[in-house]
Amino acid sequence: MRKKKSKLNQWVLAVFLAGSCALSCISVAQAQENSELRKLFIEANFAYKDSRYEEAAAQYEKILKKGYENGNLYYNLANSYFKKGDLGKTVLYYERAMFFMPYDSDLKSNYDYVRSLLNLGLPEIPGSRFQRWIDRLFAGVSINGLAYFLSFLYMAAMAILSLNLFLKRFRRFSMPILILLGLLFLPAALSLNRKIDTFNNAAVVISKLADVKFEPFETATTFFKLPEGSIVEILGKTGNGYKIKRSDGKLGWISASSVEAIKE
Amino acid sequence: MSKSKIQISKQKFLVLSFALCALSFTLDCFARDVNFEITVGRHKVSLGEPLELNLTFSDTQNMPALQLPPLEGFQLRYLGPSTRMSIVNGKVSSSITHVYTLLPTKEGIFKIGPFKLEYNNDNYSSNSIDIEVVKGPVQGAPSESQQGSEAQDLSDRIFLRVQAQKNKIYLNENVPVTAKLYVNRLGVRDIEYPQLIHEGMSLAGFDQPKQYRDVINGVGYDVIEFNTNMFGVRPGEFRLGPATLKCNLIVRKEPQGGTSSSFDDFFGSDFFNNFFGRYETYPLNLKSPDIPITVLALPEENRPQDFSGAIGDFDMEVSLAPEEVKVADPVTLKVIIKGEGNFNTVNPPEIKSDRNFKVYEPQAKQEKGRKIFEQILLPMNAAVKELPALYFSFFDPKTAQYRTLTKGPFALKVLKPEKEEELKIIESTRPGMPAFEEKLGRDIVYIKDSLGGLRKKGEFVYKNKMFLWLQMFPLLVFLLLFGFHARSEKLRTDIRYARQLKAPGKAKQGLNKAKGYLGAGKTREFYDTVFQTLQEYLGDKFHFASQSITISIVDDNLKGKSYPPQVLDQLRSVFSDCDMARFAASEFSRADREKTLKNLQEVIDYFQRNKVL
Repeated sequence: MRKKKSKLNQWVLAVFLAGSCALSCISVAQAQENSELRKLFIEANFAYKDSRYEEAAAQYEKILKKGYENGNLYYNLANSYFKKGDLGKTVLYYERAMFFMPYDSDLKSNYDYVRSLLNLGLPEIPGSRFQRWIDRLFAGVSINGLAYFLSFLYMAAMAILSLNLFLKRFRRFSMPILILLGLLFLPAALSLNRKIDTFNNAAVVISKLADVKFEPFETATTFFKLPEGSIVEILGKTGNGYKIKRSDGKLGWISASSVEAIKE
Repeated sequence: MSKSKIQISKQKFLVLSFALCALSFTLDCFARDVNFEITVGRHKVSLGEPLELNLTFSDTQNMPALQLPPLEGFQLRYLGPSTRMSIVNGKVSSSITHVYTLLPTKEGIFKIGPFKLEYNNDNYSSNSIDIEVVKGPVQGAPSESQQGSEAQDLSDRIFLRVQAQKNKIYLNENVPVTAKLYVNRLGVRDIEYPQLIHEGMSLAGFDQPKQYRDVINGVGYDVIEFNTNMFGVRPGEFRLGPATLKCNLIVRKEPQGGTSSSFDDFFGSDFFNNFFGRYETYPLNLKSPDIPITVLALPEENRPQDFSGAIGDFDMEVSLAPEEVKVADPVTLKVIIKGEGNFNTVNPPEIKSDRNFKVYEPQAKQEKGRKIFEQILLPMNAAVKELPALYFSFFDPKTAQYRTLTKGPFALKVLKPEKEEELKIIESTRPGMPAFEEKLGRDIVYIKDSLGGLRKKGEFVYKNKMFLWLQMFPLLVFLLLFGFHARSEKLRTDIRYARQLKAPGKAKQGLNKAKGYLGAGKTREFYDTVFQTLQEYLGDKFHFASQSITISIVDDNLKGKSYPPQVLDQLRSVFSDCDMARFAASEFSRADREKTLKNLQEVIDYFQRNKVL
């Protein structure tokens, strides 16, 4: 019996050690990669400070190509494109940064400034009046922030329902609290859904002035034109063209080279 | 209904329809100006070779044949009239052509026309044409056998042409472009707008087309003209076109099997079949040749400093109203740029805010041939006497020169405000701040120094499996608690259920206690424990008062139900053993006690395995 126990203990110890080794190897590799990425970021910042904006943009994009992203990275990349004079790409990368840090005042200030330079005004939010109100309500919350918020509301509701089972005195407060949680949950869920939709389907015009045509052919008649920095919704793709919808609902076909989707 | 009656009804219907159509064409004719022209199939013929002469009246189908005077060098014979109707973009046009045959009788060059006609108090006059009659055969002239053939070269009778007003244009210069469809005596319908390849240029949409008649080399054409504008978006050499246009050609087919007069066909019973069967449509896709366009960059030489890209030939009008205001009251500056050119490139003269004026962004309104800018200015002090001169520079492509228009300065009387008003208009300033309106610079905020937490692309938390699985946890906990609470409530409120639930546990305890007494040889205690255990078990199981349970329960409550007799016998046996043991415990051996215990165990096992009835 004692022999069996000691053998079992040995196995457990061996598995534990192997697992710890593997985890630490992964952590070391991760830490190494992170430090390489930070090095690229710092080099890019130095290039930006020396007004070598082309080089700075290239370095920031290397981090993206490695499959990583965050709000600061997109923000700095947008600033680099702005300094290079490519306002379409500037708007694109500010839009991407917005999904990570919509509350950042520097980002909002820069974005508003660039839109004013392009005479674009405030981005028009499509949807009904209720939908636009919801968007404004949660404008400063990122997708992850909303997901965490919804999770918190749901867990709070479960906790209240559980307490309701055992505490009779609590029951008279629980219904109003649950109603309040429900009233917060619904618009937050709608807002999260719209943000995810926008992230997946929105695109920015990156050419100076893009023709939007009736048909996806070069020789088709132009329906209307979109200036640089305009935001559209992609509905479909055929060949080299995208079917897009403008904020006022007008539909048309645009060349794939004139527009870039917010979701990479 | 007999066949003859059917024929008569059809005839009446056809006559009525024809009359209505004729009336509408007549009315249509009065609404428009009628055009009269003469055309021939060709201008050079051989001696003795007949030639077709057409006298065509457009926008009418009600014109009689002319009594032509004798024509020198020709013999004349009238063949008859031919009517035509076409619908283009909803606009109906019609014509009637009187066809004559000319037979040349001598060589030379002869002039045919102009002819004059007076009809219904209107006078009509045609053009004239020259015909050359030669002795020998004319090259390229169709032979008699070919004249009636359907294999015609359509490209001479219907074609598309594109032209630009100029072939060398400056960057952003607005230039008219025309696409013309020429049709010679053919039925055409479903004409679409032309499509034009325009690499390097931006093309506006085509306007509503115009329709008119034109004569080219003596051949008359119906012309449909599409107009638009273009401007070059980058310098270089480009090709405008080719243009393509789709339409349907209506071709008349001869009826099969023998000839018949048109009147017989019209009034005959086969009219409908013949009428609709005589015409067929053929889709056509016409293509025009392309034309070279050169887009020139604007010259750098002599470019004014305030030039902002305007190109054309413009004039400027400026007005300022009112001319007398108080300090900080609004003044409207209206600038009208009018002329010809690309108004997309026209921006208003720049006025900057300074200590004298606060300037707001201008509002622009585009009209045909002019662009109007309105801007609000606020004079900020009474020392202002005038608005300085305004300059508008543009590039004139006709002269290839930059021009600058100057207007002003504009007199403006600015009155000091009343004393009370002074308090209102002076803006509050913080200590150390300048009293005049400070112009702040604008640029983007600097980059972020810290990278922050990176994450994999597209990895949002709502897609994370761990996060999603974690959301199940509160629900599971709640369901567990709910189940527990429901069971507690049931145990509290449903006593029968609670007793039944506790019964096996209590019975097991009793059995263990009895076994202990059995092993210890304590007969009286053994049978007391067995009896108590049986009482409590049956009481809990059947929801009776435990203390009141005796052997009579077997006959009173259990016998009537379908319990096996063996179980009931075992039950009776345990009860009677317990009763006897109360008085004569010493008579029970160990074997008897074991048997009693076994019976009790089997009875309990039975009721645990089977549902209580």
